[in-house]
Amino acid sequence: MTDARMPTGTLILDRVLRFIPHAILLLLLIGLWELAARIGWITSIMIPRPSAIGAAIFKLYITEGTIYRHFFITLTEAVVGFLIGASVAVGLAVASSMSEVFKRYVIPYAVVLNVTPGIALTPVIIAWFGYGMGSKIALAAILCFFPIFVNTLTGLVQVDEDREELFASLGASPRQVFAKLRVPAALPLLFAGLKIGLTTALIGAVVAEFAQATDGVGVLMSRFSFQLNMAASIATLLSMTVIGLLLFYTMEFLDDRIVFWRRESRRAAASRAAARTWLGQLGK
Amino acid sequence: MVAVQHVGDDRTAGNAARNLRNRRILAHAAIFVILIATWEIASRLGWLDPLFYPRPSNIMRSFWLIYVQNGNVWYHLGVTMSLVFMGFIGGSVLGIVLGSLVGLNATLRRFLKPYVIVLEATPRIAVAPLLIAALGFGVTSKIAIIVLVCFFAPFINTLSGVMNVNAEKLELFKAMGASKWQILRKLVLPDAIPVIMAGERLALTAALSGALVAEFIQRDQGIGSLILVYTRNLNMASAFACIFTLTILGFLIFRGMEIIDQYIAFWKHEGGRDRVSAKRRAAMGPQT
Repeated sequence: MTDARMPTGTLILDRVLRFIPHAILLLLLIGLWELAARIGWITSIMIPRPSAIGAAIFKLYITEGTIYRHFFITLTEAVVGFLIGASVAVGLAVASSMSEVFKRYVIPYAVVLNVTPGIALTPVIIAWFGYGMGSKIALAAILCFFPIFVNTLTGLVQVDEDREELFASLGASPRQVFAKLRVPAALPLLFAGLKIGLTTALIGAVVAEFAQATDGVGVLMSRFSFQLNMAASIATLLSMTVIGLLLFYTMEFLDDRIVFWRRESRRAAASRAAARTWLGQLGK
Repeated sequence: MVAVQHVGDDRTAGNAARNLRNRRILAHAAIFVILIATWEIASRLGWLDPLFYPRPSNIMRSFWLIYVQNGNVWYHLGVTMSLVFMGFIGGSVLGIVLGSLVGLNATLRRFLKPYVIVLEATPRIAVAPLLIAALGFGVTSKIAIIVLVCFFAPFINTLSGVMNVNAEKLELFKAMGASKWQILRKLVLPDAIPVIMAGERLALTAALSGALVAEFIQRDQGIGSLILVYTRNLNMASAFACIFTLTILGFLIFRGMEIIDQYIAFWKHEGGRDRVSAKRRAAMGPQT
């Protein structure tokens, strides 16, 4: 609310001012590290200089441009795996929330899947789906299934009793109860699950690439590490961070737009839009 | 007479509940057996390639083979579990200590926040090849990977647990002149412990995954490399026996953490509350 009232200029200035100490600290740390490496306090080839890492990033992204292919392959594997795993998880969760019997028979298997470390399946999945992208997608889907399933189911089942009673006493149909009460109540938890799932899907894709692959950031990473090219492997690691941040903020953005009522500013914007619509209708 | 009647009612109700429970367990078992039987029959009829999709009977035979006849799984299981245990202790102690330090210090929190966000987005297991290259093949790099993988959940949970102090309770503590240490010991930690324990549970699962990844890359010993070797030899039945071993292990870990949780955060559970108050009553008894 205060954000909305404050002039945007001061807001931006405030952000910039806050950002400065962080930037100074980061530069100081990097400078210290570089200095320590140049003076010879850090002699190990295992800890490359920041300038070497910078050079490696420049080489990977600009002069050679090798990273892009691997970057997009890993991104695709993680996203496709996530989409498959998430749709299965949400579908099963919705079905279990509707039918008590179905829930009773699905949950034991979901729990078994949860307590098995999904990563243990990596070699088997590779034997089943081959060395290509299929195995990475499959592992990503398996790893991201459970958090999404559990969160969606919890959200759909945990409904405020008073509200449920209100819906019942107003004569809502089961479909209305589902669409207007259960789904909105479940959305925040669903998104929390999707965020966790997206991270685990990325982990699945990368681990499967470590185990056996020809393309992807994971392969690049292990190749550079075993060549003891530490600067390049740290640069690759940073690209994985970029993929992670990209996925996380996309989800955060969707969360912000779809579950708008949880955030003050978005709620205000949505109610303003609703008010405009209503005023327009009254004016007619 | 009335009381007896009531007890009788209770007993029939209990019987009915037990009957329902038994019937449900039976139904679950029946479905499970049908699934397994379908799989076995499909495999025998040649619908599923037994080279890739092992038969349940073969998996059972492999269980017998690796546990009793060859007994080779015990060694690898021991190696993996000791690694998981050491890494878990290291990572969770580090996470809890750093988490409470950062949670109690606002300046530190402000400056560490961007790094925490970046670290959270990085798939932490991805550091495994780097650590192996830096620390060499062997136990050290494996433990380092596990520490790194299971550091984060306790850290974040401790942080949020320490920060979410009830403001009214804090005011009460301050009004009564509690020292900083007392506030930490009697207010902040008890409120944070359930959240911290939830983090520990996540960390233990992550530790197992971390150990497996480290073993997949190093391929020397441990249950992870065993699975890898069996799969490479297309001995899928034995690979599945190892994976189901991990399922059982995961289940035991899960239950174990729940029991530990009931002892440490006893006030959250009815039984634990009763137990502790009975103990306190017993301790107070002789004095009064």
